[in-house]
Amino acid sequence: MAPTAIDEDRLSETFAALANGTRRAMLGRLAQGAATVNELAEPFELSLPAISKHLKVLERAGLIERGQQAQFRPCALNAEPLAEVASWAEQYRPVWEARFDRMDDYLTRLRTKGTARRTR
Amino acid sequence: MTQHNNSDAVVIERTFAAPLEVVWQMWTVPEHFAAWYGPTGASVPMVKMDVRVGGTRMICMEVNTPNGPMQMWFTGEYREVVDCERLVYTESMCDEHGNVLAPADIGMPEGHPTTTEVRVELEPIGDGTRMLMRHEGIPSDSPGASGWVMAFDKLVTYLASHVA
Repeated sequence: MAPTAIDEDRLSETFAALANGTRRAMLGRLAQGAATVNELAEPFELSLPAISKHLKVLERAGLIERGQQAQFRPCALNAEPLAEVASWAEQYRPVWEARFDRMDDYLTRLRTKGTARRTR
Repeated sequence: MTQHNNSDAVVIERTFAAPLEVVWQMWTVPEHFAAWYGPTGASVPMVKMDVRVGGTRMICMEVNTPNGPMQMWFTGEYREVVDCERLVYTESMCDEHGNVLAPADIGMPEGHPTTTEVRVELEPIGDGTRMLMRHEGIPSDSPGASGWVMAFDKLVTYLASHVA
C-alpha cells in the first residue's frame, strides 16, 4: 500500500497539516482509535469551532476520515499520507547523501594534492 | 553483513575511489572527519574522538544564521571498532558540556529518537572501498518522557502495522 511516487503537493499539504502541535496531538489520539469531535476537543482549551477548523485541515490533507453520522461524525486516522513523513530516517537520508558527496570531493582533493606534491 | 528488518533507518551504500585505510581515516581522524561531515555552509569547529570501544566522541557543528553563528553539539560512544572494517558509534544531541538533550527540547521533530546508532562497514573493492552506512534510531528507554512522545510512539507503531 506504500505510495509508488511521492506526490509533492500532497506532501506539502501533509507537512502543513502536521506543522501544528494541536493537530499532531489529535493524530496521536486518533492513532489509538476513532473518536468524536468532543472526545478530540477534550484535552485542549479550545472552542469547538477552533477544533473543527483543525479537523478540516487534517481532513483536507487526507490525514483523517470522518463518518457521515450527522453531528457525531466520528474521526478516524488515515495513516497513508504520513508514510512518507513519519520516519525520521527519511529526513536524514539527504543529509547523509550530501555528506558522502562531500567525502567524495574531499578524497579527490586529497588525491590531487598528493599527486601534485609527488610530481613537484 | 547483518540484515535488519527495522525500516526506520537510513541505509546508504557507496563506493569511494580511495583505499580502505583512507576511507577509515575519514571516519576516525578528527581533521578528515570535520572536512566532510558538516552540512554545506557549516563548519565543524570541534571534533573529539577516542576511537576505541567505550571511548567517547563529541562534535560541534556551527551554522551561520541571520542571528549569528549557532552551535549544535553531539556526543556518543564507540561500540565497535574493528580497524579498517567496522565502526559503530552512538549519537545524541547534547549541550557544550556533553549533557544529553531531549530532541524535543531543541526543536527537533517529534518522534526523533534521543540516541541513534551509526554503523559503518568497509570492504575493499578493486582499487576503491565499498562502504555500507546504517544510521538507526534506538528506541528510547524512558517512555515517560512526555505524553506527546508516547502518543507519537503509538502513532508510529500504528503506521508500521497499517502502512506496509
